[in-house]
Amino acid sequence: MPDDLWRQWQAFAALWAPAAPGTQASSASDGSFGFAPFIDAAERFKAAAQTFLDGAASGSASAAAAAAQNLSDFLRDEFADARLPWNAGFGPGVGARAQRSSISDWPALGPMREHQQRWQRMTEAGRRIDDAQRRLQRLWSDALRQAAADFAARLQPPLSSAADAEALRKLYDTWIDCAEDAYARTAHSEAFCNAQAELVNAGSQWRQELQAGIEHWAKLLDLPTRSEINTLAQRLKSIEEQLRAAVPAARAAAPRAKPRVARRKSSPARHKGVRRKAKR
Amino acid sequence: MTGTGLYAALTAASHCAAGCSQKDLVWQSGKLRLYRYRPIARPAGRAPLLIVYALVNRPYMMDLQEDRSLIRGLLAAGLDVYLIDWGYPDGADRFTTLADYIEDYLAGCVQWILQTHRLDALNLLGVCQGGVFSLCYAALHPRRVRNLITMVTPVDFKTPADLLSKWVSKIDVAAWVGDGNISGDALNQLFLSLMPFRLTQQKYVDLFAGVPDRARIENFMRVEQWIFDSPDQAGAAFREFVLWFYQENRLMQDRLEIAGRQVELRDLPLPVLNLIGKRDHLVPPDASAALRRLVGNADYTALEFDLGHIGMYISARAQRDVPAAIAGWLATR
Repeated sequence: MPDDLWRQWQAFAALWAPAAPGTQASSASDGSFGFAPFIDAAERFKAAAQTFLDGAASGSASAAAAAAQNLSDFLRDEFADARLPWNAGFGPGVGARAQRSSISDWPALGPMREHQQRWQRMTEAGRRIDDAQRRLQRLWSDALRQAAADFAARLQPPLSSAADAEALRKLYDTWIDCAEDAYARTAHSEAFCNAQAELVNAGSQWRQELQAGIEHWAKLLDLPTRSEINTLAQRLKSIEEQLRAAVPAARAAAPRAKPRVARRKSSPARHKGVRRKAKR
Repeated sequence: MTGTGLYAALTAASHCAAGCSQKDLVWQSGKLRLYRYRPIARPAGRAPLLIVYALVNRPYMMDLQEDRSLIRGLLAAGLDVYLIDWGYPDGADRFTTLADYIEDYLAGCVQWILQTHRLDALNLLGVCQGGVFSLCYAALHPRRVRNLITMVTPVDFKTPADLLSKWVSKIDVAAWVGDGNISGDALNQLFLSLMPFRLTQQKYVDLFAGVPDRARIENFMRVEQWIFDSPDQAGAAFREFVLWFYQENRLMQDRLEIAGRQVELRDLPLPVLNLIGKRDHLVPPDASAALRRLVGNADYTALEFDLGHIGMYISARAQRDVPAAIAGWLATR
């Protein structure tokens, strides 16, 4: 493969996935710049694609089928850990941490009762978040498995055994088509919609309980809270609305000024006079 | 292009500013800015055209660069173009409602234009969510709108292909929003997850595998800027929009009220042009085409383009066909 094309292929891999923990970005001096952390992904893809192309070109139907299966399995694994929206808002283990807490089972008694109940509600919300994330991740994995099966079925020999840029690109585009189709079927499903809604709803409850707890401590320290600012903002908005409604009504009700007086008040000459007076 | 060259080209293009046509700020209210574009052709003698963009993303997509600008196409057709820029809502805007956006901000822009031009009515072009706002405004103030154009505008929010609608249908939107705003970044994640493989990967492959042309990279980076330059959404308006439109589909059921007034689209007494993207993944064609059923016997025209949501603004075909379709339709009315 010409170096330029290979460079481009390496470069696009930069955008496949976030950097793995501990991976260090390379310096400008090695020519790969910020793309370096991801070049491994492109290298792995090239190797897997080459293996597939070799197998497909072997002439044996069983070898070709095995090669296709291997490549589709490889792609499924590569995308399995993609950073997905349902993992973006909450780090893994919100629920897991919550489950470890034994306080969630205690009866709420005594002066700390309200705090304990809030903590228990947060714990329950964390458990629901964790559960919803697991369900979504399972559905994502199912979609990838289906995509991999569709991809393997679409790879029909004879294929060129050379892993040139065109062949790689064709393989990649076919994979994307299969993946997007399989994902769309999953994303439209009742199970996916339910899991996603549960994640958002549980996340909302978790945040709400956390906010309430923080506000409680803020009030003890006499710090302003979001709720107080919101109340003021709503009052201000209400006053603005009343003012907007009142001004036209007041204008309509006011007696009309005599035209002569009105003209003089707004005449440029008068304004000039005022300015001159001020100068003096 | 080598890795070094590619990196340099992307870095250089990172600073490309979107927007090409000259415009003047003519009115403002709060964070809203109303712009009037300077003419580049002989006036066609039509009423001014006010473009109402969505709250999601920024309106400069309508005027991205010289060869990708619907506004430029409209100006070249001799139209007098105004554009609303809603600005970036912050925490102080969290209680701004749809009624505020439609009956105060949008209405204020219309009022200013009509007074300035001494006219009774203008032409309204609503884009995406801005199209919904325009429909509401036109229904509430039909005498102030001479012609209504909607572009990639959802009307029926319960069509089978509408993935966003399915996703939000069981979400407790009041709890989701709380008393705050909705982050633009969170919305971006949502939009990207509609087609994650194409939108987060394949498009970058296309960038790198395509012709290593500077103009192409700059165009790509401007679109990239637009996609990720996402304002937060004012909480109250967002909550109302999701609940009333996505979850309850009120527009289709004739039970939408804005500021205490019923939005009646049946027998809308003004001409309507509906521009639909046949490959739109955000606003499925059926969701837009449903407008015909709502406006009843109005002078209604629907034009379908074989384009996606973003393609409707910036594709080469859109530059050729969409402004011409709008100008041609207006010329006959």
